[in-house]
Amino acid sequence: MVYKCTRCKRAVEIDYQYSGIRCPYCGHRILVKERPVLVKRVKAE
Amino acid sequence: MDIDIIELSERKARFVLSGVSASFANALRRSTLAEVPVLAIDDVNIYDNTSVLFDEQLALRLGLIPLKANAKNYNYPEECSCGGLGCASCQVSLTLSAEGPKIVHAGDMVSTDPDVRPADSSIPIVELKEKHKVVVEAVARLGTGRKHSKWQAGVAGGYKNMPILIIGDCDTCGKCVEVCPRKILKLEGNRVKVTEIIECSLCKLCEKTCDMNAIKVSDDPESFVMTFETSGNITASELAIEAAGSIKKRAGQLVEILETLG
Repeated sequence: MVYKCTRCKRAVEIDYQYSGIRCPYCGHRILVKERPVLVKRVKAE
Repeated sequence: MDIDIIELSERKARFVLSGVSASFANALRRSTLAEVPVLAIDDVNIYDNTSVLFDEQLALRLGLIPLKANAKNYNYPEECSCGGLGCASCQVSLTLSAEGPKIVHAGDMVSTDPDVRPADSSIPIVELKEKHKVVVEAVARLGTGRKHSKWQAGVAGGYKNMPILIIGDCDTCGKCVEVCPRKILKLEGNRVKVTEIIECSLCKLCEKTCDMNAIKVSDDPESFVMTFETSGNITASELAIEAAGSIKKRAGQLVEILETLG
């Protein structure tokens, strides 16, 4: 799953071996999940 | 059975239905709520949504927009020749593409069928700020209020018994005129007159206030003041006709079943 670093805006793969969330490029600890590029079908109810 | 129309506009009908039982009047009211088919957005394909609303919330808001269309041109998905897969005779697609900053309204939706459009183009869907974007395709299908309230054709249906107000000998004290919340009583010379009997709410305040017991408030058990209102997806007269037609159709089905039994 690709996340996005909120500081350097780069796509980041999370390293699950490392205990903690951190951007490998800038060291920032806030990553956001991007909306996947597929059509989402929702029931209108 | 007799019908006397009081008010008939595109979205509202008010009439006096006389010579029927309360159960029939109620059947008609319930039929307007649950049995009249109209189009409503059922599925929403979301291509992009960076607005403040969740996809599901956006879809629900789209679903509740009343769509004006000729329902006779469409089939129920389950009864369609395509077998419910979706074809031009059982569904219609509406697309919405907007970028902020702006308020997205129902009128911004573009329909593949020019006869299908939102009943009110000014219904707000979502407010978009800078860089917010919404790209969706909504699929509208035919349904009835029995399944979901978004397919409800009649939105404010009700009835009351026809009020009867008898005024006997009185001393024209004017207390009843003052107390009437609907202001339907009027002093004319040495008599109290009823101006709009249909507006009476049968609260009997006038009867209780009268010291001389000159006023008698009652109702006609076989006459009803009926009010139907639509959300704009069909006209009020169509609503009443379709509702009555639905009762007739179901009664016919019952007769058919009973005939096979006997």
